[in-house]
Amino acid sequence: MTEVNTSVNTDRNAGGKGMALEVDNISKSFPGVKALQNVSFRAEPGKVLALLGENGAGKSTLLKVLSGDIKPDEGEVRIGGVPQKFDAPVQAIQAGISVIYQERQLVPSMSVLENIYCGDLPATKAGFLKKKEMRQTAERIIQEFGLEIDPFEKLGRLSTAHQQMVEIMKAYRRDSQIIAFDEPTASLTDKEVTILFDLIQRLKEQGKIILYVSHRLAEIFQITDEIVVLKDGRMVKQLKTAETNEAELIKAMVGRDIGDTYSSLKRNDKMGDVLLEVNNLTTDAVHDVSFKLRRGEIVGFAGLVGAGRTEVVRAIFGADPIISGEVILDGEKVNFKHPKDAIDAGIALCPEDRKEQGLIRFRSVQDNVCLPVFKKMRKGLILDRKKQEALTEKAVEKYSIRTPTFEKLVVELSGGNQQKVILGRWTSELLTTKLLILDEPTKGIDVGTKAEIYQILCDLAREGKGVIFISSELPEVINIADTIIVMHNGHITGTLAREDATEEKVMSLAMLD
Amino acid sequence: MNGSFIKRITRNKAFSLAIIMFAVWIIFFLLNHNYFVGENFTGIMNTSSLSGTIAIGLACLMMSGSIDLSAGAEGCFGGVLVALFLRTGMNWILALLLTILCGVVMGLINAFWVNAMKLMPFISTIAMSSIYQAMAVIVTKSSEIAIGEGPFTRLGTGHIGIFPLPFIIMVILMVIYGLMLNYTKFGRRLILCGGNRTAARLAGINHQKITTIMFANCGAISALAGAILAARMNNGGPRAVLGAEMDAMTAAIIGGVSFLGGGTSGMGTIFVALLLVNSFNNGLQVIKVNSFWQFVTRGGLLILALIVDYFRESRRQKALKQGAKV
Ligand SMILES: Nc1ncnc2c1ncn2[C@@H]1O[C@H](COP(=O)(O)OP(=O)(O)OP(=O)(O)O)[C@@H](O)[C@H]1O
Ligand SMILES: [Mg+2]
Repeated sequence: MTEVNTSVNTDRNAGGKGMALEVDNISKSFPGVKALQNVSFRAEPGKVLALLGENGAGKSTLLKVLSGDIKPDEGEVRIGGVPQKFDAPVQAIQAGISVIYQERQLVPSMSVLENIYCGDLPATKAGFLKKKEMRQTAERIIQEFGLEIDPFEKLGRLSTAHQQMVEIMKAYRRDSQIIAFDEPTASLTDKEVTILFDLIQRLKEQGKIILYVSHRLAEIFQITDEIVVLKDGRMVKQLKTAETNEAELIKAMVGRDIGDTYSSLKRNDKMGDVLLEVNNLTTDAVHDVSFKLRRGEIVGFAGLVGAGRTEVVRAIFGADPIISGEVILDGEKVNFKHPKDAIDAGIALCPEDRKEQGLIRFRSVQDNVCLPVFKKMRKGLILDRKKQEALTEKAVEKYSIRTPTFEKLVVELSGGNQQKVILGRWTSELLTTKLLILDEPTKGIDVGTKAEIYQILCDLAREGKGVIFISSELPEVINIADTIIVMHNGHITGTLAREDATEEKVMSLAMLD
Repeated sequence: MNGSFIKRITRNKAFSLAIIMFAVWIIFFLLNHNYFVGENFTGIMNTSSLSGTIAIGLACLMMSGSIDLSAGAEGCFGGVLVALFLRTGMNWILALLLTILCGVVMGLINAFWVNAMKLMPFISTIAMSSIYQAMAVIVTKSSEIAIGEGPFTRLGTGHIGIFPLPFIIMVILMVIYGLMLNYTKFGRRLILCGGNRTAARLAGINHQKITTIMFANCGAISALAGAILAARMNNGGPRAVLGAEMDAMTAAIIGGVSFLGGGTSGMGTIFVALLLVNSFNNGLQVIKVNSFWQFVTRGGLLILALIVDYFRESRRQKALKQGAKV
């Protein structure tokens, strides 16, 4: 059997200890977008450097340049002053750079252990695996992470958070000198976030260079030493974390002050009659869930990832079967067998997992936005292009979706912009929605747009629609929702009015220890 | 402990397939008591060895994320070629090796269309299948080429104990490839490629190189399977091997190799699935189902396997989405 010789030898790492990473004058264009324009910065060993910027600012593209996945149009990357030329990802790995992508790159049907190694398995010269060494190393890594995961478990059976941790282990195992994280906390629960931050601290002490991308400013202040702010593919500034503050960062990112997000919201103050009533709803994953939602009300669901919030709304929406209990919409008892029935009855669900459930990745932005309302855009037998364009334009404007044309394929958008396309789809005025369900709508969305999304939620409520808003980010649920329902382990553990809700109260209900 | 042991056994795919196979045996035995006669069992082993050998190359290729629908035609051409080589008076070992080499070339041509020209494997290998099949007809002028009795034909007709030699060759190959898939770095990388091409690329694995090797391998093994069939039949004919690639694919899919990429399987499971498919086909013959109808039921079986594969895949996706609890 011919051996494909691309194995990664970590001893040969060009990026030795104590060497700085220099990104010099990097530019990269995609058709219609300048994703990066003359970006230069320097990252020092033993420091954590944050990359900050709006959706589509070019953060992920920059990391892909570092991982050898994308070739820049100009500029170079230097490690310890030595210019690096990457024709393929393997060369970046050999140079000591590991990048953890925004979208997990794992194989669900393979074991945790094999995913940690990702093909770079220890083997004899003849190519036979050293199974014992494999097991021991994997067990050691899992233990160093302080997680209880069986290395022989199939990856697909792990929770999303644990899968994300496996993705991080993959990079950790290579023991690279430079490790870049692209929004690693987007799908982690608090427990894993703590583990991750401890890990980053340790890596820092070992003198490694860490690059860290996140839209959560609190995290940036907690773990980073320096911040590079990108806007529209250009570098705005590089500053020391200790010498800056949130307002300054937001201004650099967005280009204007956005003020206090929550207090400047125009909220709805007139509640109508009851729109949705859920009584003792029980499914495979949730038990005995009851709540009421009035017209014009925003009900927030708080809780840890996996608490059963998504499952509640899926059951209401007809995506999961209901075992017992009832759902009453507009005074009528309903039991949707299929999401299509729910949509016809005026419910829209914007799902949490855009990659799996929402977007048609290889279709245009326009098709994705117009998908549920194609029926209403027919002119005889053909689709009315003008109407489609008008609708898409509205969505693009409302959410400032960064796309050069409406024809651009959704896969080619940045992560946050993909999320915005989904939001645009489900909030279009052509849908006669009475009840809008948004599951983690702000995941991966930049601060400026987040504020706009909050206002859109309030506007929907002002129009008299009911809104269910699920979020794992505590501050936003307790500040946006009129009523906050906290879930734990498939049960509702508490219901609070916005005036009474504090982070501590919600947290203790969500953990219930 | 005990409970989990029983659970593990029942969740084991090979085990559940074996149960289904016994059920198939019993049903056909009830329909016709000749079903279990030893000779008939030898027949099952013989026919399994053809589709089974092809299934080895095909399954490995499918696990790496591609497919070769010309495997049967490659086998057919292989059988014709070995007969032609032997007719020139060539040493049989040399003739066999040359045939396998031709199989490698056929596989590489398939790989060229898929990897270099970026054609869809489904379409391009169907096209090549038609070409290879036609070549077999052309070079033989549509007749069968006889092979004289000799050491080569014993490869097809010999026995060790009750086991026909072709069956033993298939089992040995299955063991070798099973070990390759599970115990070598190459094998694991191959499966990784099929499971997530992007992840493999980012880890520095060359997907094209691996599928090229697996295409060549599939061609070689199919040609070998065709040659062994020729040895068993004492001739190489342009219409031999017909439909064997379909049985091979059915066995691979029932055995857990996904048509949609990402599914993997041990050779053991494929082996059981193969016996199941061939017992079924053989049973149809024994109860004297018209041979045209046999093709209908074989096609039906493949459709069934694909449906099962589809549901397996969507369940897997669902488990993934919900992040089945730890
Ligand atoms: N493969 C591609 N083809 C075309 N355009 C692309 C491609 N990848 C990225 N882009 C474009 O490049 C720009 C920068 O995208 P990038 O993914 O780097 O943004 P980002 O800063 O990571 O944003 P986010 O916070 O949303 O993840 C975007 O406008 C995006 O549409
Ligand atoms: Mg990004």
